[in-house]
Order: sequence, then C-alpha cells, then structure tokens
Amino acid sequence: MSNLLEIKNLSVVISDDKRVLVNDVSFELKAGEAVGVVGESGSGKTLSALSILGLLARGLRIDSGEINFQGKDLLKLSTEEMREIRGNQIAMIYQDPMTALNPVMKIGDQLMEVLDSHEHEIADRKAHILNGLAAVGIADPDRAFDSYPHEFSGGMRQRVMIAMSLLLSPQLLIADEPTTALDVTIQRQILALVARERKRRQMSMLWITHDLGVVANLVDRVIVMYAGRVVEVGTVEEMFKAPKHPYTAGLLASLPAVGNNREKLASIPGVPPKPWQVINNCAFAPRCSSAKDICFSHRPELKNNQTGSVACFFPLGGAS
Amino acid sequence: MTLTIRDVTKKYSIKSRKTVVNALNGVSLTVEKGKTLGIVGESGCGKSTLARLIVGLEQPTEGSLNWSGAPLGQGVRNGLRSHHTKTQLVFQDPYSSLNPRQTIGACIAEVIKTHKLRAEDQVNARVIELLSVVGIAEDMQNRFPHQLSGGQRQRVAIARALAAEPDLLVLDEPVSALDVSVRADVMNLLVDLKNQFNLTYIFISHDLSMVRHISDDIAVMYLGRVVEYGSWSEVLSSPKHPYTKALIQSIPEHTTVRGIDFENVLEGEVPDPANLPKGCAFNQRCPIAVPACAEKVPELLELTSHHLVACPEVLK
Ligand SMILES: Nc1ncnc2c1ncn2[C@@H]1O[C@H](COP(=O)(O)OP(=O)(O)OP(=O)(O)O)[C@@H](O)[C@H]1O
Ligand SMILES: Nc1ncnc2c1ncn2[C@@H]1O[C@H](COP(=O)(O)OP(=O)(O)OP(=O)(O)O)[C@@H](O)[C@H]1O
Ligand SMILES: [Mg+2]
Ligand SMILES: [Mg+2]
Repeated sequence: MSNLLEIKNLSVVISDDKRVLVNDVSFELKAGEAVGVVGESGSGKTLSALSILGLLARGLRIDSGEINFQGKDLLKLSTEEMREIRGNQIAMIYQDPMTALNPVMKIGDQLMEVLDSHEHEIADRKAHILNGLAAVGIADPDRAFDSYPHEFSGGMRQRVMIAMSLLLSPQLLIADEPTTALDVTIQRQILALVARERKRRQMSMLWITHDLGVVANLVDRVIVMYAGRVVEVGTVEEMFKAPKHPYTAGLLASLPAVGNNREKLASIPGVPPKPWQVINNCAFAPRCSSAKDICFSHRPELKNNQTGSVACFFPLGGAS
Repeated sequence: MTLTIRDVTKKYSIKSRKTVVNALNGVSLTVEKGKTLGIVGESGCGKSTLARLIVGLEQPTEGSLNWSGAPLGQGVRNGLRSHHTKTQLVFQDPYSSLNPRQTIGACIAEVIKTHKLRAEDQVNARVIELLSVVGIAEDMQNRFPHQLSGGQRQRVAIARALAAEPDLLVLDEPVSALDVSVRADVMNLLVDLKNQFNLTYIFISHDLSMVRHISDDIAVMYLGRVVEYGSWSEVLSSPKHPYTKALIQSIPEHTTVRGIDFENVLEGEVPDPANLPKGCAFNQRCPIAVPACAEKVPELLELTSHHLVACPEVLK
C-alpha cells in the first residue's frame, strides 16, 4: 500500500513566544488504513489534526515540517486549493460540534453550503443530505433539515457533523473524539457506517479518541502521544498486548477492571507536564517507574523496531 | 434530605414548525442525600433536559422537582440565588458553557466571589487549589477557554462547579473528553469528595464503566422515560429491559482486539420525540415485542424491591 498521508517533523508553536505545543511529530497513513491516535489530554492530538487541514487558530502557527497528501505538500498550497481539498478529499469531525456548526443557521442550509462550495456530481442535493442524516440515525431527517443546532441534543449535533463529514465521500476522514457524546448503541451504528464506507471505497481514517475499547476494535495501528510528541507507534495488537512505552502501559493500567470491582481506579502517578515546557529529556521520566539517570538528561528518539517504534531508553519487554 | 422528581414532563414547542418535542414524558425518581444516581440512555432521550430542570435552569412543563422539601428552580425564578449555590451543573459541552472572554482563573474566581465563599485575599489561592485538584497547572489560569484542549476545558468546568461547594452536583458527561489516566484521577476525586462531604451526585454518562464505578442506583432512559431502575449491580449484572440489554451488549470492550465486526446490535431507527409512537417507545425495535406493546405505555413496575422495569414481557 502506498502512503496517502505523510507527516514529517511537524512542529506547532504559539506565534508570540514560540512555545512549542506539537513537537517534531512524524507519522504516515496508508491508503485504506485506519490509525488511532491516543494519549494524554493536552498532548497535541487536536492541534496535529487541525494542522493537516490548515485550520490552526489565530495565534498558533506551524514552525516546521511537511504534510504530504497524495504527494502534495499541503503546507505549500494556496488558501483556495486548501479549501477545495478540505471537506472534499479530507474531512474532519471536530471534538466540539458547536465549533463546526453555525448556531444561527439551519442544519439543512449548512449541509447545502458544503455541497455548494465543492465540485461534485450529486444531482438531487437535498435527497443526498436527507439520506446522509438518516444513515447516522437521525429519526426525522426532514425535521433535522429545518432545525437549528441548539434544538438538538449533544449526540444529535455530533451525528449531524458526522453526516456532514461524509457528504462528499472523502478519501481521508479525520475524527476527533467523534463518538464520545453518543450512547453505545448509536456509537455502534456510526462505527458500522464508517467501517462500511472504509471497505467500500478504501477510505483512510485518523481516529483520535480516549476510548480504548473503540481503538482496540476499529483501527489497524495506534499512535500514542505525550507532551506534544509521538512516544509510541505500533499495531493495535502490539499496543494492547505488549505496550513498549511505560506511558502506554500506564494508560492501559488505568482502565477499570472488568467485573463488579469498584476499588479506587489506578492512574499514572504524578502530574502531566506543562504543555510548553522546553525539556531536553524524556517528558515522562518524572512519572516513570523505570526511569534511570539518562532519562532525565537525554531525550529518547523515536526508534523503529520490528513491529513499530518507541521513544524510550528502556522500553518494556526488552530491546528497542 | 432527598431529591424528589415527580411525574416530570418537558415539552419544547417549536413555533416555526408548529411541532412539539416531547423531551421528557413523565419521569419520577428519588435520590437520597449522599447517594449517586447514574443516568444512562439513548442519545436524545432527555438526560441533559432533566439535568437542566434539576438545577433550575429550566422549568418542567408538568410535575415537580424538590430538594430537601423545597422546590428546585424556584429560587432562580424568584431572584433568590441561594438554591443556586447548593446545586451545580457541569455541562455536557464545556465549550459553550464557559465564557469565551473570561480567563479560566477569573471564571472560577467569579463563582467564589459571588457566593462569598472565601475572603477577598484568599480567592486566588482557592482558584489555584481547585485547578490543581483537576490536574491543571496554575500558570494556565490566565488562558482563555479556546486556548485549552478539550479535556482541559472539561476539567475547568468541573473545577468551577466544585468552587461553589454544592450539596447536589449534576455531572453531564463529565469525563468523556479525558484520557483514561486523568479520568481515573477525576473519578477518584469525585468519590473522595462525595465521601468526605456527603455530596449527592447525578452522574450522566454514556460510559457504562464509569457509571458502574460511581453509582449507587442507575436509571436507564429511553425517549423521555425511565425504562429500568435499580441498584447498580442489579441493573448492570442482570439487566432486564431489552433496551438495557442492547446497551450493555454494545459496549466496545478493550479486551477484544479487532474482535467486533461492528454490526448494529439494535436495528431500526430511534423514534422521533416530536411524534411519539403509540405504546412502548421501544416496541418497533424490540426483539421480544408482542402486539400489545404497541397499544399501551408500560408502567415502571417492581421486579424485586429495588429493581424496577417498564416491560410487561419480562415481568411475566
Ligand atoms: N490557541 C491556543 N493557544 C495556546 N495554547 C493552546 C491553544 N490551543 C491549544 N493549546 C494548548 O496546546 C496543547 C495541545 O492541545 P490539543 O488541543 O492539541 O490537545 P489534545 O491532545 O487534543 O487534548 P484533549 O485530549 O484534551 O483534547 C494543550 O496543552 C493546549 O492547552
Ligand atoms: N431547546 C430545545 N428546543 C427544542 N428541542 C430541544 C431543545 N432542547 C432539547 N431538545 C430536544 O429534546 C430531546 C432531548 O434532548 P437532551 O439534550 O435532553 O438529550 P440527551 O439525553 O441529553 O442526549 P445526548 O445523550 O445526545 O446528550 C431531543 O430530541 C432534543 O432534540
Ligand atoms: Mg483534543
Ligand atoms: Mg445530553
């Protein structure tokens, strides 16, 4: 399989003071592949995704790196060219639906606008939209079409956004916490829908989530982020059965036990690092039980092994 | 003290389309002080609406809500803010509930000052303390909500609610945006606070593992009604209502890698609350429905003394 998306050494900084929020991030995504992004809250998952689409907020900018999509560096495209790719070839489901939906515009008009602003061969636009809304489990698509976002529950807004993202059959779907606002039966329905789309037309997915149950069952590979960096990449089997980075292992250990045990939940000791702290050592060292002197004086590079890669001097399970 | 919710309905009329959305269709629940009620259910079944009624942000169309004998919500309407301190809501969508033009530190300080919970010179120390209990570094207090990640905003919303030192805390999806380690910390904190101050929680979540972790009792809702209610262990270990069963079956477990083929567990569409189906709201999707189910709305009846279910078929 060829790479659909390649991110190389991406760094995102605060423009004013150059504090680094996303630090030297590299990964790739093959055509048809589904990759999960997990990690610490505040570790740069959303900012990495927004960088791909050229949608960073004012005050932030990409300091270095390349984002190659189908061989083109997206960072070199004009605003106009980027707008055409966005929504059409790459679509995103945002973490906060209200940031993507216009509160004073009816849902139907917003979805129409998406179709109007891109070239496509859809003849009956309204029917296409109503079908899309029905596919994400909206009970009355006609009513939804005429509603404003505030008339919807949190999960319904989320589904409208999912419908919006799939309108133009994108090649790459980036989803940021897409199903956390949904009950598990509707989550199932949505995951079935995207899994079908993926099979049917080789859609690739970048799936950002804290829900490790979804990750375990939906994706092929997993990227783990901590403090602005990628600390581990591996197949989903490796990640769950033999995590290499102590942070990844700590995350898995924080899951509640299955069964009726309600003891205090385990968590990773210590506090997450401040996002902008400039550090030349392993950011996880202060919280790591296997840290040694070198972890506090040097930064481990992300090194490849047979099954993936890990940024740790003393990876779990032996040799790195 | 007890939270008593009696026969509550909530209708939203949408004038432009001459329709009425039946968000709640007769909900009765009681929660004793110091207990946690977990609420789970279909997306759109009225959980957040119930949350807004409990803290008095909106009034029910019919029915009543009382907290330790006094009607909830009246305080706000009469301009008395007293009740407002005692009950707090952590909103499902922290982005729209935090003031975008206020730094997160100022936003928490405002709550402390409004309710005069600390002397003027103690306010800042209290803000820092609250931020640190939810795992936010103190030098982030000068940031604006849009400069935070999703999980950081969610934690600020929790810190702000705790700032008011409430007796009754309604938590609407409070931990959904957190990584599992931070989530564990926040959950442990909520359990500690509850034990220490005898707080009462309404914990709304789609994450059944967290609902199981914190709840004393669980209510399962479907289309504006409670369809199953009981102690956490009864409801989760021996679910009776077909909807509860489907819900539990749909949980993606992390113990199976690529183990789910993501077929729908539940067939059919969620009914439209503006056009309620006749009889049991679940009957069109229910694997065990009989013709009678499409006739009469089933009552919530006792299966055992502390396990109620609204399904005559499983009560047989
Ligand atoms: N506009 C901004 N200005 C300054 N800092 C920002 C801005 N947006 C985000 N940040 C910071 O950048 C870091 C990375 O944010 P990001 O939203 O990518 O985190 P995340 O990994 O998606 O976290 P979560 O899981 O909580 O959503 C965070 O620490 C956040 O506080
Ligand atoms: N202001 C409003 N105007 C019109 N309809 C509304 C309004 N608020 C809520 N509704 C409708 O009431 C129903 C219940 O919504 P509510 O937000 O309480 O659901 P929920 O159980 O919290 O769902 P979710 O799990 O998706 O957050 C939905 O059908 C919703 O569309
Ligand atoms: Mg995020
Ligand atoms: Mg809700």
